[in-house]
Amino acid sequence: MKTILVNPLDETPRATGRPASRLDSLAGKTIGLLDISKWGGGFFLDYLEKAFKDRYGVERIVRVMKPTFTKPAPDAVIDQLVKAECAAVIEALAD
Amino acid sequence: MLQSGSLVTPFSLPRLDGGDWRLELGKPSLLVFFETDCPTCQLTIPYLNRLAQSLDGRAEIVGISQDGEAATRELVEQAPIKFPVALDRDLSISREYDPQAVPTLFLIDGGGKIARTSVAFDKTELNAVAAEMLNAIGVEPFELAGRSDGAPEAKPGCVSRHLEGGQEAGREPGAESGLSASVNLYVERGPRASRVALDDDVDPYEFCYEAGFADPLPVIPPTAERVDRMLGAIPFPEKLPPDHIVARVPPNYGMATVEKIAANAVMAGCKPEMMGMLIPLIRAACDERFNLHGVQATTHFAAPLIVVNGPVRRELGFACGSNVFSNVARANSTLGRAFQLILTNIGGARPGELDMSTLGNPGKFSYCIAENEEENPWAPLHTEFGLDREQSAVTLFAAEPPHGVSEHNAREGRTILKAISRALATVFSYRFCFAWEAMVLLCPEHVKTLVRSGFTKDSIREFLFENTGVPVKEYEDEGGEGAQFTQLYQRATINGEECYRKFARPDQIRIVVAGGTAGKFSAVIGSWATGPRGSQMVCYPVD
Repeated sequence: MKTILVNPLDETPRATGRPASRLDSLAGKTIGLLDISKWGGGFFLDYLEKAFKDRYGVERIVRVMKPTFTKPAPDAVIDQLVKAECAAVIEALAD
Repeated sequence: MLQSGSLVTPFSLPRLDGGDWRLELGKPSLLVFFETDCPTCQLTIPYLNRLAQSLDGRAEIVGISQDGEAATRELVEQAPIKFPVALDRDLSISREYDPQAVPTLFLIDGGGKIARTSVAFDKTELNAVAAEMLNAIGVEPFELAGRSDGAPEAKPGCVSRHLEGGQEAGREPGAESGLSASVNLYVERGPRASRVALDDDVDPYEFCYEAGFADPLPVIPPTAERVDRMLGAIPFPEKLPPDHIVARVPPNYGMATVEKIAANAVMAGCKPEMMGMLIPLIRAACDERFNLHGVQATTHFAAPLIVVNGPVRRELGFACGSNVFSNVARANSTLGRAFQLILTNIGGARPGELDMSTLGNPGKFSYCIAENEEENPWAPLHTEFGLDREQSAVTLFAAEPPHGVSEHNAREGRTILKAISRALATVFSYRFCFAWEAMVLLCPEHVKTLVRSGFTKDSIREFLFENTGVPVKEYEDEGGEGAQFTQLYQRATINGEECYRKFARPDQIRIVVAGGTAGKFSAVIGSWATGPRGSQMVCYPVD
């Protein structure tokens, strides 16, 4: 007689999505920078912002910050990035 | 927004199940404005279902959906919603009542006046609405939203659809992205676990390894018979059927159904009666205040430490004496292990994968102790959360591993506490103050000396708070963890030396009595990030 096991793993039905298509260039784009509010994140993102504008021709940088690094970004923060119509978003996981 | 005291005019809306719903005067009505993709609305639904069941036809609840028919139907089936639902297709009723957020409840009395409103999710408000409604129809009020049912005390809602710019009425949320209308975090019933049939020549123990069930010590294969035995021990099985979702476990928010919890309990080696502990424990872990998402995703050492209190310790064989942190009792080890297996297998934070803790924590196999209440002359831990001494409970703390404090020379209680305070000064990182909590585990021999010296739990806490600090001169060399925040720290003179206080408040130091009666070894356990922005200790009753 076969042994029947009850699956103990997560089987939550999930919708599948596809990753967004990659950018062919940064020039002229709006790029979001999400600071997770770890100490030092601002320095790193300042550097990135300057580099994006000076070296890659990024048109506009949108800076947002999570209230705390200990929890996922709240909808209000994500909404700012969505409303700004960022072509791409970089999340700064700096310490 | 229409306020309490306003008179309302009768209206009708199309019902989801056909026909029209009309606001009838003469009996109380509770209007519930909601959106199908609002997590707070989904959180509120099960409470409204229970209230609807108790109304006996003498009052009515109606859900007023601000979304289209398809999305509304999906939510009604998924959640499920057990009261009538109407569709505010052109948002005209929403504009008239003008809730600023959803969910908003308008309780309308029999005379057509708004008696009470409640916005978003708030347990106190929900209980008040329910009581007023039940009193109005002569039904004995009951507590609709219990303190320890796993839901947060309060949760903000979402902007009402009629206030969102650029939204056409009756939209199907999510339709444009192709994903389903909502990730419903608060449905009560989930899918049954799949079954895996093993051929006779397959070793079930090796299969569990290959399938990723194990932690990675061998597990007891979760056969259907063993899982059934586990399910058979559940108190109130009619309220907790196998597909009932106890919680969604972060960081993947997997559905921890009663059946999945049972399967992991089998694998851990739990006896069936442990189900009565595991269910409140998983609820506690997924309580937003504990912030399990952060605890599981951090690179820090933190692992949830389970502290068991009350009569259940004796009833189920929890060890609270010698070797309490070790592999000393089936109850301690299997409850801790089942808990960790659920966190990994259902929550998804597998060490080395999503869980990228730098050094990890031995407690990720099992980190479960019971308080030695018999050797504790003061109040046990769970009473600090408002529970009676005789109420069994589980408390969770996002904990580092224990740091031992050996103190064999002290004749007086204060000398023991000074040794403990020096260890406490090092929790998380020596020079980082103010943001941390700690648990102090006092062994019975130290407790005896402290009692002889006249200490109480409160005076121990005060002493430790006042005497735990980091000398200011320790910050003279540049840089280093904690040195960047000295402007936040509180100065105090400790032992004649200028120091920064390690703790912001005495209540950040928790005191627990544990361990065997031989040996003068206590311990301190540091925390992860604390407070509403980090992880807060939670204590849940066990029935």
